[in-house]
Amino acid sequence: MTFYQKEINRIKEICYSNEGQIQTVIGTRNYIENNFDKELNLDLLSHIRFTSKFHLLRLFKKYYGQTPRQYLINKRIEKSKDYLKMGMSISETCYSVGFESPSSFSTLFKGKIGQTPTDFQKEQFSQSQFKTDS
Amino acid sequence: MKVKVLSIPVQDQEKALKFYTEILGFIKKVDVPLSEENRWLTVVNKEEQDGTEILLEPSPNHFEPAKTYQKALFDAGIPYTQFNVQNTQQEYDRLENLGVKFSVKPTEMGTVKIAVFNDTCGNNIQIVEML
Repeated sequence: MTFYQKEINRIKEICYSNEGQIQTVIGTRNYIENNFDKELNLDLLSHIRFTSKFHLLRLFKKYYGQTPRQYLINKRIEKSKDYLKMGMSISETCYSVGFESPSSFSTLFKGKIGQTPTDFQKEQFSQSQFKTDS
Repeated sequence: MKVKVLSIPVQDQEKALKFYTEILGFIKKVDVPLSEENRWLTVVNKEEQDGTEILLEPSPNHFEPAKTYQKALFDAGIPYTQFNVQNTQQEYDRLENLGVKFSVKPTEMGTVKIAVFNDTCGNNIQIVEML
């Protein structure tokens, strides 16, 4: 057995021995992945997993290093990049990924990506134009 | 500062290019001759061609500490880096059928499933699926 294989076993034993907890957070993450465009909150997520919201929050943070809300926002922002690259308008993108306000979407987008959705979209189109021309 | 390049040390750039394109499915992006037989050689995911480039770097051939470090990692079974996949089991089946050797078969590690294979250029590479 190599050093790495021993390490895998050791880490599994220390960090991943509670199967119930693991299934709870995996289920929550998959639910977010499949329903990110809908209205989601901790009450709903914890209700689906038959657990208290504080317990779910603690577990999710323990295994993924972020809260369900942070994960949801990141997922929405990542998906919004795909829609913007396809040419969808800013407001249409905002509502398609589950945000309720174009202005708060733009602020969040800029905070995560470093550019406004408009600037991001312009940059994508000018890059694809450059490739077409060359 | 932006992260645009991931460097992987390889003992043979041509062999690495063949493996990373024909077996793993990346496509060549940049191939610029440098000194002697060396190239600035990068590959990318074909669905993210403007994404992070993998630089296939011949450092083990030119810098003894790089060769020593690569060998130490490899002998310990430690992956040099990892790539995300949709389904570790499917990717394992596909790669095994292509003759790729795995040191770690698909294994669940909490919220992920991993596997580790030999890239034939001096490295173990890990694949990981979010469960």
